[in-house]
Amino acid sequence: MDTVDASVHYSQAIDEKPSLLVLILDTNPYAWSTLSATLPLERALASILIFLNAHLAFSHANRVAVIASHTKSARFLYPTTTTTTTTTAAAAASGSEDPLRDANKYRQFRIIEDQVQASFAELMNQTTAGELVDAKETMMAGALGLALGYVNRLVRVDDGGVLGAGAAGEVTSMNARILVISVSGDLAEQYVPVMNSIFAAQRKKIPIDICKVAGETVFLQQASDTTRGIYMQLEHPENLLQYLMMCFIPDTATRRHLVPPTQINVDFRAACFCHKNVVDIGFVCSICLSIFCTPPEGAICTTCNTKLDISALGNFGGNPAVVLTKKKKTKKLKQSKATSFSNEASATSTPGTPAS
Amino acid sequence: MSGNIRGFGYLESLPPVTFRRLYQQPATALAIFRRMLPNLAKTIVTTLLYNETPVALGDLEALVRPESYRLACYAFSKLRRLHIITENNLDVSLDPVFKKNFRLALTGGHVWLLSGGDNRGDHHSFGVPCNTEDKKKITVQFLDDYATRQFEAILHYMVGTHNEVKPSKGVITLLTKGGLMERHGAGSVATITKNGFSFLLQDGNPQIWALLIQYLEMSEELGMEQTDVLHFLLMLGSLELGQAYSVNTLTETQKLMLADLRDYGVVYQRKSSSDRFYPTRLATTLTSESGGLRSASASMSSAMVKDAEEGKGFIILETNYRVYAYTDSPLQIAVLNLFVKLSTRYPNLVSGRISRRSIQEAIKMGITADQVIDYLSAHAHPQMRKSLVTLPPTVVDQIRLWQIEGERMRTTTGFLFKDFHSTQEFEEVAKYAEELGVLKWKKPARRCMFVTRHEQIADWLKRRASAQQQQLKKAAA
Repeated sequence: MDTVDASVHYSQAIDEKPSLLVLILDTNPYAWSTLSATLPLERALASILIFLNAHLAFSHANRVAVIASHTKSARFLYPTTTTTTTTTAAAAASGSEDPLRDANKYRQFRIIEDQVQASFAELMNQTTAGELVDAKETMMAGALGLALGYVNRLVRVDDGGVLGAGAAGEVTSMNARILVISVSGDLAEQYVPVMNSIFAAQRKKIPIDICKVAGETVFLQQASDTTRGIYMQLEHPENLLQYLMMCFIPDTATRRHLVPPTQINVDFRAACFCHKNVVDIGFVCSICLSIFCTPPEGAICTTCNTKLDISALGNFGGNPAVVLTKKKKTKKLKQSKATSFSNEASATSTPGTPAS
Repeated sequence: MSGNIRGFGYLESLPPVTFRRLYQQPATALAIFRRMLPNLAKTIVTTLLYNETPVALGDLEALVRPESYRLACYAFSKLRRLHIITENNLDVSLDPVFKKNFRLALTGGHVWLLSGGDNRGDHHSFGVPCNTEDKKKITVQFLDDYATRQFEAILHYMVGTHNEVKPSKGVITLLTKGGLMERHGAGSVATITKNGFSFLLQDGNPQIWALLIQYLEMSEELGMEQTDVLHFLLMLGSLELGQAYSVNTLTETQKLMLADLRDYGVVYQRKSSSDRFYPTRLATTLTSESGGLRSASASMSSAMVKDAEEGKGFIILETNYRVYAYTDSPLQIAVLNLFVKLSTRYPNLVSGRISRRSIQEAIKMGITADQVIDYLSAHAHPQMRKSLVTLPPTVVDQIRLWQIEGERMRTTTGFLFKDFHSTQEFEEVAKYAEELGVLKWKKPARRCMFVTRHEQIADWLKRRASAQQQQLKKAAA
C-alpha cells in the first residue's frame, strides 16, 4: 500500500471509552396502530434490536438498557431485574432446541434479543383493552427517570475513584446517552417531571437523543436541545433502521468530530401548571417560577401558596396604553453635527460657537 | 524498540484476497469491525451498512467536521487498508462480502430480523456449544487458574526462573522463531532477547496477540490454511467463558490448532481426544480492545487473569526514586530487575531504586521509557492510586529525560519538495501537507519542504493543475 495515510501520526491509541446506551421505546399501542401502514411495531422492534447489536458491536465493554414507556407505566425490558420464568424459559428453550442454530448468533446479541422480546411480549399481554381507552399518553417522565437512575448507577460504579479522590488518571467512566424513540405526541401532563429529568440529564452531561417517528412534542425537542442531543423527525418512518444506524449510532466522543444532523428551530414554549396547556405568553409566580395560563384563583400560587399581588399586573391582556412623552430637545450638539438641517439646532447655537 | 514485536496490527498487511476470505465468516467480520477500527470508521460502516446504493465520498466526508479532517483521513485509510470499503469513482460502498456477513452477524440470521436481500446463513461461526453435560464440571475459576498457569509458565520460562510447569516444545519453538528468545548453538539453553524483554513489559492482551500472530506465521510454514487459523482465533473472542464448545464442527486445521492453543492457556481440553473445548479468559478477551480492557472492564469484573491474580497492584514508587514492590513472584521480580536496581529482598517485599544507569541499561535492551512508566502505573499499589497522579511526576519526567539523553538525533526518511513557481503555490502545498500530517520541515525563504510521504501531495498537485488548466480554457473560451 503506497497511498499516503495520516495514521503514522496517530500511533498512540485514541482514547475510546466504552459507552452506555439507554433506549427508551414509546410502546403506546394506540400511537403505533396509527403507524401500522408504514412501520408496524414488530418491524420497528427488529430495527431497534439490530441497532442495539450494532451498538454492542462497537466495543466489548459497551452496554445497553431498554426501557418501555407504556401508557401508564414505564419498565425495563432489558436488563430485567426480576428474571421472570418466561424469559429464562425462552432462553433455555432456544438454547437446547438447536445448538447449531445457536451458533449463528453472537451470544451477547442473543441474550438481549431474547430478553427484550420476552419482556416485550409480556408487557403487551398484560395490557388490557380497557387500559387503552383514551390512552394517548406515554409515561415518558417515568421512563426518563428510570433511565437516569440506571445511568447513574452504572457510571457511578466506575466513577468511584473520583469520589474517593482516587487516581483520576486511571478512571474511565462510561459515556452514557439516552435515546428516545417517540411516537405519541403531547407530554404537557408531565411537563414538570419531564423538565426535571431534562435538567438532571443536562447536569450529568447525558445527551438525550430524540428519534421522533410520529407525533409532535415540544418538550422532547427542548430535551435534546438542552442536553445537546440529536433531534430527528423522521420523514420516512419505514426507514427507521437507516436513520438509527446513521445518526444515532455515534457515541458522545465520536460526535465531537461529526457535523450533527441539523435541528431546525426549537420550540421553547412551556406548559402551564394549571391546565397543562402549551402557552406562548403566561404568568409566572415571582417566588417559585410556576407557570400559569391565567392568574391563579384567588391570586394564590398553586405550587408554593404565595399570595400574589395581581394588581401589579394592571390591565394585562387589554389594549396597550400608549403614553405620549414629550420630545426632549437636544441641548448640546457636536460641532460637526451642528450644521444640520434642523432649524431648532441652529436656533440654539450657531456653528462654531460653544453652546455654553 | 517494541516495533519488532508485531501485534494485532500485523493483520493490516495481509493481502486483499485474505481479507475477502476472512469476511466470509460473520464472527470474523464482527471481530475485525470491533477490534481494528476507530470509532469514526465504525460509524461510517454502520452508515453504509443498510444503504443499498453507493454513497459519494464527498457526502461521507461532509459528515465530519472540518476540524476533525485528520481523524476522517485516518478512518478512511483504515477502512481502505482493511478492504472494508470499495471505491468506484468517488463513490463509496462496503465490500459486498463484508456487508452481507456483518449484517448476518448483527441479525443472527433471524428470519424476522431480516431486511431486504439477506438470506439466512448457517455459518456457525460463533461456535457450537456442547449441550451434553460434562462428566466433570469445569468452573470459571478452574479455567482462570489453568490459563494463568499456562501463560505464566511461558513468561517464567522466558526470564529463566524455575517453575513447576514447563512450557511445551511447541511454545519454545514459537518463542525462538519469534525472536523473543534465542539459542546460541544447538542444545544450549535459550536466553531472552531484547524483543523478549519489551514483550514482558506489555499488557496481557498484546502479549497473547504477539504470540498468536507469530503462531499464524509459523502455521503458514507448516502448511495450515491461514484464513482458517485466523477465523478460529477471531471466533474465540466471541465465545463465552465457562461454556463448553463442540469440536466436531471445526475444520481439520482448527482441530490441530486446539492442541497448540491449549499449551498457551487460551483454550482448555481435558484430553486431546475430548470432543469439547473450553475457551479461557485469555480467549474471550482476544477481541476486546486493548485499551478498555484493564481500566474499564475491571469494574465489570472481567479483568484480565493476570491483574486479578496480582491483586490491584504492588509497586510503590517514591519521589526519591526508591521502589518498593510487595511481591514474592520470581516473574515480577525479574521484570522489575530489568529497570530497577534491586537491593534488598524480604519474604514479601523487594526494594531498590531507579537510577540513570538502571534506566539506561533497560533502554539498551530495547525497553522504552514509556513502557517502564506504563508498567509502573499499571501495577501501582492502591496506596499510590489515592493521589491524583499515580506516579510522582518528577520521577516520570526524569525517566523520559534519561531516554532522550540517548536520542540527540532522529532520522526520518522522506521526500524533498523544491523549486516551487511562486510563494503562494508553496504556501498552499505546505498547508495541505500539514493538514495531512506528513510535513516534517519547511523553509519558506528557500521554498522547499520535507515530507514523509509524497503520493497524496503529488496527486493533489496534479488535480489542482488540471483544474487550473480547465479554468484557463474556460477563460479563453
